[in-house]
Amino acid sequence: MMSTSRKRTLDDDLYDESPKHLRGGGGGGYGDDGDDLFNDDDLFEDNLVDHDGPPEPADDVEEDIAFGDITDAHRSRWTRPAVPSSVWKTSENDLNLQWLDIDMIGGSPLAANPNKNKKVLGASSGTVPIIRLYGVNETGNSVAVFIHGFTAYGYFALPRGYEVDGSDGNLGKIRSILEENLRAKLGSQFDKGDNTSNGETPMACLGVTCLSNKQSIMGYDPSHTKFLKVYVAMPGMIPKLKTIMEEGITLPGITNANGQEVRESMIFQPYECNVPYVMRYMIDRDVTGASWLSLPKGTYHLRKNESEKGTHCQIEADICFNEIIPRKPEGEWAKVAPLRILSFDIECQGRKGYFPEAEHDPVIQIANSLSVYGESKGPIVQNVFTLGGCLPIVGAQVISSNTEEDMLLKWRTFLHASDADIFTGYNVQNFDIPYLLDRAAALWKKKDSKLRIFTQWGRVKNCQTRKRETMFQSSAYGRRTNTETTIEGRVIFDMLPYMQRNHKLSSYSLNSVCAEFLSQQKEDVHHSIISDLQNGSDADRHRLAVYCLKDAILPQRLMDKLSVLINYVEMARVTGVPVSFLISRGQQIKVFSMILRKCRDVNLLVPTLKKSGSGGDEGYEGATVLDPIKSYYEIPIATLDFASLYPSIMQAYNLCYSTMLSPQEAAKTDPSMFKRSENGHNFVHSNVKKGILPIILEELLAARKRAKKDMKNAPTEFEKAVQNGRQLALKVSANSVYGFTGAGVGQLPCVPIASSVTSYGRFLLEKTKSYVEEHYTQAHGYEHNAQVVYGDTDSVMVKFGTKTVADTFPLAIEAAKKCSDLFPNPIELEFEKVYYPYLLMNKKRYAGLMWTQIEKYDYMDTKGLETVRRDNCALVREVIQTSLDKIIIERNVPGAIEYVKSQIADLLQNKMDISRLVITKSLNKGAEYALGLGGKAEDYKVKQAHVELAARMRKRDPGSAPQMGDRVPYVIITAAKGAANFEKAEDPIYVLENNIPIDSKWYLTNQLSNPLTRIFEPIIDNVEKSLLQGDHTRKIFIPTPTAKKGSLMMFAHKKATCMGCKASIGVDEGNLCKYCLPKEAEIYLGKLAVLKEAELRYAHLWSEAQRIHGTLHTDIMCTGDGCACQFYRRKKVQADIRLAQEQVDRFGR
Amino acid sequence: MFEARLTQGKVFKQLIEALKDLVQEANIDCTDDEMSIQAMDNSHVALVAVCLRSGGFDHFRCDRPISLGFNATNMGKILKCAGNDDIITLKAEDEGDSLALVFESPSQDRIADFELKLMDIDSEQLGIPDTEYKCTIQMPSGEFQRIIRDMQVLGDTLAISCTKEGVKFHVEGDLGVGNVLIRQNNTAEKEEDRVLIEMEEPVELTFALRYLNFFTKATSLGPTVILSMSPDVPVVVEYPIGETGHIKYYLAPKIDEDED
Repeated sequence: MMSTSRKRTLDDDLYDESPKHLRGGGGGGYGDDGDDLFNDDDLFEDNLVDHDGPPEPADDVEEDIAFGDITDAHRSRWTRPAVPSSVWKTSENDLNLQWLDIDMIGGSPLAANPNKNKKVLGASSGTVPIIRLYGVNETGNSVAVFIHGFTAYGYFALPRGYEVDGSDGNLGKIRSILEENLRAKLGSQFDKGDNTSNGETPMACLGVTCLSNKQSIMGYDPSHTKFLKVYVAMPGMIPKLKTIMEEGITLPGITNANGQEVRESMIFQPYECNVPYVMRYMIDRDVTGASWLSLPKGTYHLRKNESEKGTHCQIEADICFNEIIPRKPEGEWAKVAPLRILSFDIECQGRKGYFPEAEHDPVIQIANSLSVYGESKGPIVQNVFTLGGCLPIVGAQVISSNTEEDMLLKWRTFLHASDADIFTGYNVQNFDIPYLLDRAAALWKKKDSKLRIFTQWGRVKNCQTRKRETMFQSSAYGRRTNTETTIEGRVIFDMLPYMQRNHKLSSYSLNSVCAEFLSQQKEDVHHSIISDLQNGSDADRHRLAVYCLKDAILPQRLMDKLSVLINYVEMARVTGVPVSFLISRGQQIKVFSMILRKCRDVNLLVPTLKKSGSGGDEGYEGATVLDPIKSYYEIPIATLDFASLYPSIMQAYNLCYSTMLSPQEAAKTDPSMFKRSENGHNFVHSNVKKGILPIILEELLAARKRAKKDMKNAPTEFEKAVQNGRQLALKVSANSVYGFTGAGVGQLPCVPIASSVTSYGRFLLEKTKSYVEEHYTQAHGYEHNAQVVYGDTDSVMVKFGTKTVADTFPLAIEAAKKCSDLFPNPIELEFEKVYYPYLLMNKKRYAGLMWTQIEKYDYMDTKGLETVRRDNCALVREVIQTSLDKIIIERNVPGAIEYVKSQIADLLQNKMDISRLVITKSLNKGAEYALGLGGKAEDYKVKQAHVELAARMRKRDPGSAPQMGDRVPYVIITAAKGAANFEKAEDPIYVLENNIPIDSKWYLTNQLSNPLTRIFEPIIDNVEKSLLQGDHTRKIFIPTPTAKKGSLMMFAHKKATCMGCKASIGVDEGNLCKYCLPKEAEIYLGKLAVLKEAELRYAHLWSEAQRIHGTLHTDIMCTGDGCACQFYRRKKVQADIRLAQEQVDRFGR
Repeated sequence: MFEARLTQGKVFKQLIEALKDLVQEANIDCTDDEMSIQAMDNSHVALVAVCLRSGGFDHFRCDRPISLGFNATNMGKILKCAGNDDIITLKAEDEGDSLALVFESPSQDRIADFELKLMDIDSEQLGIPDTEYKCTIQMPSGEFQRIIRDMQVLGDTLAISCTKEGVKFHVEGDLGVGNVLIRQNNTAEKEEDRVLIEMEEPVELTFALRYLNFFTKATSLGPTVILSMSPDVPVVVEYPIGETGHIKYYLAPKIDEDED
């Protein structure tokens, strides 16, 4: 087999001139076959490569099943608008679409280029990669574009000084050597797929060219300037090729620096071999994420017959990759297409005592809310699929089924008809979607019903939805197991992880998130109740359906309210990665994409580094924190911030891979050309060679400035929030550039850059401190000596000594300007705010009233306080918050002390609402063991209070006990001396019902003491004595528990005591002792008042709860501890009423 | 006005010592004929009842019944300042918020007075009604203390069974098994060394050793201890305090958790 590879013109972008002999071959699916070099990298794994199993058996190809109750009226509301006839005139009209999802399959090459004037590109036989793009056109029709002819390739560098004979003949020889090696590596995989269509033998290595116009990004004077560019048949072959080149190979026509031909095996450094195939295409063709693309008239072909089509999209086009015109997201093309978003939620009927398992427990309802982006009237369809009858719901379709199979299949019919671009919901990714898939599989195994087609959710015909478990580990989020699902052509956008990533909240339950952002509540129904409702009447199921529907609607509203979609589209366009990457992958891919794009513009190439494994975590010194001078400052403290410190350092000092000089190079270079960083690395000046990273940062920060400006000019609060989100996203992206260089296990870690950045940061902070303290002194004519009281990473807090905010502002503005002048552009010290008063407790722990204008303060700003953390009870959060409010805003320290004392007194006298004492923790991995659900003893070494409690509750009543993954609420009760904490945790409801005493001392010493000490330490002396002890702790209440088994209360009798003075009296003496008898009326009225007050409190709470849940006629099912309907408080008042009633009743006798 | 003078001051001292592990806060209830304390422990398994009759004091005056709430730990701190031979006088005003404690040395050459801030404890008074017990065992308090201490080494649940043979204490644990049998002995020279068992029918009950151990803190209050048991009701562990009164502990029998 002999083939020549044509020498390409220097511009390797002229794909049109692709080599005649490029031929492909072999079967698809190489990417799947455990190539460790590719797969070990979770972040960059090329999982977009086709990993379809064998095609489904033909008998499964049964599209939709007709159901009597799904009428045309239903369908017409569900489906997309009809395709306008103009679309079909491909020679007259361009086809424009905004794309969202992208993937790749192996397929046969095109027989002819749809653009009649041009030839087919790429290999002409065997299996070739085809890119599938899914999007929506302006009229809201779904479009799938099959992009042909884009060939995968990698670069391999020749060592410095080496040359290669670039003649056609020699490159042809190189190609055949590589071909041989590749085939040897691929082994039988390759031969098996020999399906030659035109008698030609398929090839693995399609061609080789030689380039000398590109350079490596590494270093100011890179050692690699000559490259071989090798094309292969399928993207999955790239890693194999990389291995061959890294292991060393003898290639003909290569001469070393002395001009002698190299005859032995040599190693070629791979470049850009780790770029996923679809990203490669996007970068080379300048296609950015979620952008608009145009298919110019006459260049594409539409598949008109259903039999011809491979997807369920309304429009399907074939085109060669170089015909597509990417549109820059500006002006007209900044718009967003009418994308369809489907938000859904399922309910399952669990068995008593178990969390629903797909193997056993049926899905009983599926609620959906379908909306179209840009449609102002809200969702276009809301419906519920129910198992069993259900009363009608206002504003929603109810579709009932008698069997679960029917319901699931009807839902799938809906799914296909509605053809959503984006799936959303709350925790759908890890619960709803996997549950439906598993459930269908379980049913299908049991009954062999029609359910095999149920899991075809994607746009590609006859293609099952696949899921796989992934482990996600990050220092910020900890270790999590996720389920990743691939639904061809649709993007899954789960709102739960989004909220977890982007907002710091104390609770991420849908209920509390909605209360926070939408001021809307939903009932928290425990899953044990769901089963009862399902087994009830049509009205009960209606109740459930309304609840379920709300769960489907809320994530959608959340998405709209937080402008999630527009922010992500924006981010995808800025960083150039597909939207799905933003959701499922980390920060690195964004930076990597930006670097690759920029490098392409300036003819630089990025090396593919070997994974360094553990060797990568070469530590370096991080940011600096100046020692705080702890105190309560009752004079203004000005805060001077470096704006985007790390990005601006990289810009100012031109820190980049491509500007770095090694020490040896530096010694030979003119010293005026470079600067030595604070920790001894050398980078050339920007006028010598501008770095890639500074360019990227410049663009990002310019975009951020525009967004900030838009934010200032935004007409509404809402619009402001949108722009704020945008500018924050840009800020995060800019900051992640620094992270990219410092990440130990990254794509291109470079510790010299990262450590230089932090060392410059430390230098700037110290410099600012010393400048301010030297310049603003009485010696220089200022009234006071300035003092830097605290500084952290990019900000310093300065005490200028001035007494008013108005006096401080001019000084601070001046100081910021003077400091900025000391530093190179664009490093800028900004004066943003004054804290007055300012309570500095410790490193990263402070509170202050923030002033950004002289006239009035903005709000109280706190850092590192217990106000958000959830492992504290609400009491701690409230006490801390209120004390700070009093100290900082009202500037009333005695008031704060009084308040704290009154709270402690209430706590000791059992007047505290129990909901404020509830602590919640979730049952995570390891707890199975304690609950007797399997698991290993090693995973549960230390007994945890909430886990032990859950185990105890399980013994009492398995039905209502918390399940794995649930959050367990508990309070700490009194117990024998020396009892461990886990013995003292108890279910709040059980506590209320049995009147068990709360261990108020525990709350005082373990919960309140530390945070209170921290706050008051800088303000008053001896916090312990003055706050935590004293007269207010001397009145306590010891409740009498109700009798229960094992308790002495089974045998004890209450002794009659006087209701007035507590003295014991004889049984027959009535209620009062002889000393109190004269005051009988007074005492009675007192007790009556207590009862009335409790009743009133209950009435208030009840009507408030009714308002929150919007129900007047039904019981309130909500038992959520985070819900504003105050479940525990209602319970507590009920107990209070009972007690008060008993007291009053005693007088009647 | 409440005033009580106790020549044997150490009795009061030991009393407080004997209950401070079981209860943190309690009321001293004073009436014109006695001074008493009743409190349940935090886990509601045990109850302690103290009674000191007015006759046992040199001087006792109580104008109207009052409750004096105290913190046992703090009270203990103050009582540490009293010598074992000191005479202790307690004084409180009807509407006051403190308790005065006066310690006089026997020779009257040292008089110390302290004031303890009182607590306002809002709780119900609880008591166990007197009943006829099927078994009553009187034994030296030191012997009882020793048994409890020894048994605790092996486990945390103690079975006490009273039969014709005598009283058997039985414990099982990871280490092994332990048994102590105490036989009737009414011939000992000293009255307090005798073991007297009155039994209508055999009784066997199990208890948490942790609490019994707390009870033995009262050993120094008297040479004998009286255990009273009936099936399925709390055991009473009584330490008579001479002629002046007693301290009684009630402990609910352990119920097998599997029975629920």
